[in-house]
Amino acid sequence: DRQTLVAVLQFLRRSNLRESEEILRREARLLGDDLGGNVATVATSSPGVAAVAAVPPGKGETRGVCGVGPSSRRGPREVGSPCAARSLGGSPLFWETKVGAVVVEDQPDVSAVLSAYNQQGDPTLYEEYYSGLKHFIECSLDCHRAELSQLFYPLFVHMYLELVYNQHESEAKSFFERFHGDQECYYQDDLRVLSSLTKKEHMKGNETMLDFRTSKFVLRISRDSYQLLKRHLQEKQNNQIWNIVQEHLYIDIFDGMPRSKQQIDAMVGSLAGEAKREANKAKVFFGLLKEPEFDVPLDDEDEEGENEEGKPKKKKPKKDNVGSKSKKQDPNAPPQNRIPLPELKDSDKLDKVMNMKEAARRVRLGPECLPSICFYTFLNAYQGLTAVDITDDSSMIVGGFADSTVRVWSVTPKKLRSVKTAADLSLIDKESDDVLERIMDEKTASELKILYGHSGPVYGTSFSPDRNYLLSCSEDGTVRLWSLQTFTCLVGYKGHNYPVWDTQFSPYGYYFVSGGHDRVARLWATDHYQPLRIFAGHLADVTCTRFHPNSNYIATGSADRTIRLWDVLNGNCVRIFTGHKGPIHSLAFSPNGRFLATGATDGRVLLWDIGHGLMVGELKGHTDTIYALRFSRDGEILASGSMDNTVRLWDAVKAFEDLETDDFTTATGHINLPENSQDLLLGTYMTKSTPVIHLHFTRRNLLLAAGAYSSQ
Amino acid sequence: MEAAKMASPKSAPKDAQVMAQILKDMGITEYEPRVINQMLEFAYRYVTTILEDAKIYSSHAKKSSVDADDVRLAIQCRTDQSFTSPPPRDFLLDIARQKNQTPLPLIKPYSGPRLPPDRYCLTAPNYRLKSLQKKVSSTAGRITVPRLSVGAVSSRPSTPTLGTPSAQTVSVSAKVGAPVSLAGQRFTVQIPSSQPAGKSATPTTPTVQNVLINPSLIGPKNILITTNMVPPGTADPNPLKRKHEDDDDYDAL
Repeated sequence: DRQTLVAVLQFLRRSNLRESEEILRREARLLGDDLGGNVATVATSSPGVAAVAAVPPGKGETRGVCGVGPSSRRGPREVGSPCAARSLGGSPLFWETKVGAVVVEDQPDVSAVLSAYNQQGDPTLYEEYYSGLKHFIECSLDCHRAELSQLFYPLFVHMYLELVYNQHESEAKSFFERFHGDQECYYQDDLRVLSSLTKKEHMKGNETMLDFRTSKFVLRISRDSYQLLKRHLQEKQNNQIWNIVQEHLYIDIFDGMPRSKQQIDAMVGSLAGEAKREANKAKVFFGLLKEPEFDVPLDDEDEEGENEEGKPKKKKPKKDNVGSKSKKQDPNAPPQNRIPLPELKDSDKLDKVMNMKEAARRVRLGPECLPSICFYTFLNAYQGLTAVDITDDSSMIVGGFADSTVRVWSVTPKKLRSVKTAADLSLIDKESDDVLERIMDEKTASELKILYGHSGPVYGTSFSPDRNYLLSCSEDGTVRLWSLQTFTCLVGYKGHNYPVWDTQFSPYGYYFVSGGHDRVARLWATDHYQPLRIFAGHLADVTCTRFHPNSNYIATGSADRTIRLWDVLNGNCVRIFTGHKGPIHSLAFSPNGRFLATGATDGRVLLWDIGHGLMVGELKGHTDTIYALRFSRDGEILASGSMDNTVRLWDAVKAFEDLETDDFTTATGHINLPENSQDLLLGTYMTKSTPVIHLHFTRRNLLLAAGAYSSQ
Repeated sequence: MEAAKMASPKSAPKDAQVMAQILKDMGITEYEPRVINQMLEFAYRYVTTILEDAKIYSSHAKKSSVDADDVRLAIQCRTDQSFTSPPPRDFLLDIARQKNQTPLPLIKPYSGPRLPPDRYCLTAPNYRLKSLQKKVSSTAGRITVPRLSVGAVSSRPSTPTLGTPSAQTVSVSAKVGAPVSLAGQRFTVQIPSSQPAGKSATPTTPTVQNVLINPSLIGPKNILITTNMVPPGTADPNPLKRKHEDDDDYDAL
């Protein structure tokens, strides 16, 4: 930080802003003689001033120390006009042209701070620097080598981008040719994208690349390895690599044993490196909300309900011991009124009664008792089926298609009915008991209802818990709310101006979340035409959004290979989970709210402990993208469906028991994943060339799956 | 996706081969054969647009030929138009911080379907009904029924006027069926053809009430325009202003 302060002071002095300089110096308590007698003049165009002035803290969470962000952002946007801020560090040629300029060789430190990718020395020497570092790391001790090898990829990318940015195309190309094969296999996709970026203009339009440049790549290295690296880099004469490390990398140092390659491999892979430890330290209320107490009409065959945490027992004459448990507040559960939730209507209460009755007849699943799977195949969809959802009571199924239609089917023999027209409604007897039946139109009852309205493929659908509404989000950038009583569109929520990839209703209704190509997720309420919360932080598209069962948190999976957990109350990101090697396409919370399962294009299912913020399991077995994940109703079985045409069942109880959550693990984030995927796999069920895109456990623990038949 | 069938070199034109090679370089190995045609068409259209723009810029700068700067300018202008990219990250973080500061709004109980204000919903009718009653000849002194035309009504504020026409058309005409003496009630508006076109709701005579003149629908002849027939003395069944189109035109033409 001292360096930044010195740089800013020099800058202010050069721009003749004496008063600001004095004030800043006083506040920073720096002495004047610290700055030396540098007289080099550097052009101070207004963007440059603005860039430096815009260093205020709080500009982005990963900005860290450097005020690098603003200037680098403005840099590429100045098309055509040579931006002086950019060329502040500039080539030596530029410096020489300044009148009375004294090119001081130690200036690079100052200007390095001020611009993102200044000229850090001779471009032709980059290959030498890199291979020098490579040699050093390969000769280091085994225990340190794995950790230091983490440095290769970010360094490679940043050096390459620097060469491209400063328009040394041929050097960039040869640098890439020489070293791209050394990188880890899971970075190959990124490298391919990188290889197509050969000119500076290419970098401008690519938001992900710009974010990569301005955010700091996080590395977790043990103290010993770090000391080794630092010593080596500072010994060298021209520590260009050290400069890059300081500017673009954030090294999270921990005390303890260096990690093994296996441990590191499990956690890396995201676009911004791993997550800093502080990112996962906030308290998360992962407990469930208490169910309200109400009278339940008892049938003759009613059994005891399931003893869910905090759920009160039904009103039997004798009070069970669970009843007393419900009085205690679960310390991990959020307060009931932490976020406003809609009150329970009578129809909701009836629904809950039905739920409890069904729960009584639920099959207990386990390794010996696997669920039966009922597969709904969409025929003649011609690869146009893009989203599926099933209601909680499994009565309706909706499909979103690439031809921008949304089709709703009734799964039960009961047909879909819409409310009669106004003319007919005036004719019915409003006082009769079955008025709710009479308002429904029998003449147009059908098994299928088609909803038209979107102007692009429909990528996400979600039923509301009370089955009155349906949401659909599409490539046209809108989220539409449909009424399932009139089968018409009610509202179009415009906010994302880019394709929206996923949407979901909250488990209590009223709120819904959507995530799209603009890299943010938005929280909406059905009665507000603008979002209530914006969750910004991902570096690439948000591909998957899910509510936590207590509706207080939202998990978003993104194409930057991370999963973030956001707090609905204040929009903060409370957890960052890295480890996947491809964009995340499916998320599932366990019913008890403590764990999260995620699936991505790399074919692995990762299990996370939300409370501690750690990875607790890895399920290998699928060979293609996992599009569907679902826990059974009591959390004993995890089902995963994938593009490789299979549904796999995993033993969730066994996966989550015996967790190592001692202090060391939580402090350092070290994990030791057992290689037990084979033990946890309970069954693999293949379809006849139908990728599985949706899974749903009915209230009685029958597994429903859905996919579109693809004929090859 | 069907496996790519690379056209044999002797039959595919050079452009198609180049495009296939580009796809291969970008790592795309499986694609339908029509993708190449689509990509070629896009490339052709894009390049033509840019070059045409560049020609315009260079002729504007009075240059004799198109040079690289013109092309660069053309590319830049088109990029801002058609290839927009999502906002940058710090901007998003900024607006997110602003938006997340406001507390979550409380939920009103017992409020029926929770939808945004009608203006933001798609629940308003986007049509108006055309009544079927024929206009009686004007000499009889009868008032004619206001006719409404079918037409898309785009995003009108949902003042009560909107809902009423369709619902109340029938009722108004029913009311109108019991006329007060209309001798003085018929209003004729002569529209000289020199009047500027364009919708204007201003009545041309002070005694005309609630007339909408829509010259765009008016033919070359002078038109008899009827009002909504509310006798000035009686209470207006529809106290709010109502617009209606010229209806004689439909009969005459």
